[in-house]
Amino acid sequence: MTAPVVSRVGSLTRVSSERAGLLSLVLVGVALLSVGARWVSGTIAVLILVLAALVVVGWITLAVLGSPETKRALAPYGLLKPGSMWLAMFYLAPLWTLLTSSLSAKKTRFDVFPTFSWEFSNYGKAFSDFGPQFGRAFLYAGIATFITILIGYPIAYVIAFRCGKYRNILLGLVVIPFFTSYLIRTIAWTSILADSGPVVNILNSLSLTGVLESLNIMDNGKLINTPAAVIGGLTYNFLPFMILPIYVSLEKIDVRLVDAAQDLYSSAARAFRKIVVPLSVPGVFAGTLLTFIPAAGDFVNAQFLGNPNTTMIGNSIQDQFLRQNNYPVASAMSFVLMAIITVLVIVYSRFFGTADLA
Amino acid sequence: MNTPKRGLSRRELLIRSGVVGAAGLSLPAILAACGGDDGGNGGGVGDLLIENWPEYIDLTEDDVPGTIDRFIAASGVKTTYSEAYNDNLEYFAKIQPLLGTGKTIEPDIIMPTQWMAGRLRKLGWLEKLPTDKVPNAKNLEDAFKNPPSDPTGEYSLPWQSGIAGIAYNIDATGRELKSIADLFDPAFKGKIGMLTEMRDTVGLLLLGLGINPSNITSFDEAAGAFEQLEKAKSNGQIRAFTGNDYIDDLGLGNFAACIGWSGDVLQLGTDNPSVRFVVPEEGATLWWDTMVVPKGAKNVEAAAKFMDFVFDPVQAAQITAYVQYISPVKGVREEVAKIDAALADNPLLFPDDETKKRFFPFADLSDEVEAQFEEAFSGVIGA
Repeated sequence: MTAPVVSRVGSLTRVSSERAGLLSLVLVGVALLSVGARWVSGTIAVLILVLAALVVVGWITLAVLGSPETKRALAPYGLLKPGSMWLAMFYLAPLWTLLTSSLSAKKTRFDVFPTFSWEFSNYGKAFSDFGPQFGRAFLYAGIATFITILIGYPIAYVIAFRCGKYRNILLGLVVIPFFTSYLIRTIAWTSILADSGPVVNILNSLSLTGVLESLNIMDNGKLINTPAAVIGGLTYNFLPFMILPIYVSLEKIDVRLVDAAQDLYSSAARAFRKIVVPLSVPGVFAGTLLTFIPAAGDFVNAQFLGNPNTTMIGNSIQDQFLRQNNYPVASAMSFVLMAIITVLVIVYSRFFGTADLA
Repeated sequence: MNTPKRGLSRRELLIRSGVVGAAGLSLPAILAACGGDDGGNGGGVGDLLIENWPEYIDLTEDDVPGTIDRFIAASGVKTTYSEAYNDNLEYFAKIQPLLGTGKTIEPDIIMPTQWMAGRLRKLGWLEKLPTDKVPNAKNLEDAFKNPPSDPTGEYSLPWQSGIAGIAYNIDATGRELKSIADLFDPAFKGKIGMLTEMRDTVGLLLLGLGINPSNITSFDEAAGAFEQLEKAKSNGQIRAFTGNDYIDDLGLGNFAACIGWSGDVLQLGTDNPSVRFVVPEEGATLWWDTMVVPKGAKNVEAAAKFMDFVFDPVQAAQITAYVQYISPVKGVREEVAKIDAALADNPLLFPDDETKKRFFPFADLSDEVEAQFEEAFSGVIGA
């Protein structure tokens, strides 16, 4: 920074520009959060929103009229603004509401707004009453994630390395199920796997029913409404989320590395193990997160493909929120779910690392 | 009645029906429900919005006008009929934040099951009906007069009544069923369905244990039924707890047998003779759904006109012939006989006194006991 120029309106030094940018970001975020979380309401809320709007206008004025240096310093905060405003309004504010609700108690059975009272017993109830559902959610999601890796990795590999000009078509085919609603795709399985449906009939005529029953995949001649069906549904629905990130990481690999390894007398298998696998780990990592996290909170598959002994935590949360009207316990369950997932993700990223994710 | 599978919304139900529609079930009926939007021009009493359970009224089919279209033609009231009422608890959870804080909801008539109507009345969320504007209410069958849910009869009029008994697909069972104990036959492991509507499922199990569900006053008296239910769930006897959608599973044979509602099964049985309904020898639970006007509804007068219309035996008979439930309107049997003589002799639609003795309404539970029941039930059904 040579001779600081302060002649133009709104021109600031680099440091104070950054401070101003940061301050405006925080102010707007807090303003939206306070309105969204209902810390303030009525006239005050309107005033705060006007204030937040003024801050944004002020920031824009500074960025437009400032010196090139000021503009440069302010730019990142400007780029962050839409995202942070969105997060403040639609993530932090609801999270706060959920938190207060999880520590509230209903005064009467049909109380509309539970009263905040540091009701930690909601968390105890979430654990004691819904332990099996938590367990199943993570078990099923874990198995489904594992299977999506087993199925998805080879698919991604073939598309990335062996399909040449057909790559884009094949990628399109991977995404095509998304053209239909998630719900319809899941319900379609109820017809496909029905007791008198095509799959069971084929299995019957091949006399495979007994084998599958001894493997616990079928139960008394039925394929649907079993744990295997729930896991299968999760696998099916989340497979594209595994294939796409793995494909992206494989596609970036320079095939000349593999050629070089083979020039140095490495076997194809060894080259795959030493070069392709390590370079594709970030894709597997990203795919695992994209698959496991939503699968653990899913309730659609367990609802349509499961039975009363396969309910997952998502089903319980949905039931407590939408049928039992038990917002406090449902909120506590949501928080526990988030906490467990956070811990699992932290532990997982310790092992696989996120450094190469980008 | 008519609770769908847990948390199944109206939209999901439509989608589901769409999928099943490929298998030749009820899609046309549901689509037809969307008809009747070109009705009269208000007739000075405002537009009427009715929210009812799915497939619970006769619809305009092949130029034969359904009840809604006939009502529009007769009254000139612009009426919108929606099948948004899917599940008592779910609907309650939806309206609670509004009615509970003194706001209003859109529909002018909703059709909660009798016990839910009682809850809404006690919470003060219902409008009194303008009884002087419903002269046909004199046709109300005596059995439905002044129930515990509405002792003065000022807040509700019954819509349809029915029983929860055993529905089965004889192709899947291979034999006729007649007892509640058949639901626990190990041969049907994983092929039994039960209802998410607590009173119907628990009521029937109580009858199976020789306990009269009409006389229950405490949770302890029903504890045996809950134990039996828990056991059947844990050992895999029960395939699913469902609402209306048990019909699909029953038709496909996924359910060998299930607890079902009389009218639904009779409707299905017309298309699929393998599906049967039986009043178990131990008895069956009796329920009815009611027409009520939510607090602050805009068109109470139009609502009264509609109630008056459907309490005319001629009109009520059209509904009965279609939905095949028990009508709460006097004189319907004679009118039904003109449409379909066999139907008028069906004891499930027009039970004689001997049969009626085998129907048991669920007791009117106190608030505290009801909460215990609901919590225990929600615990068992596994969500």
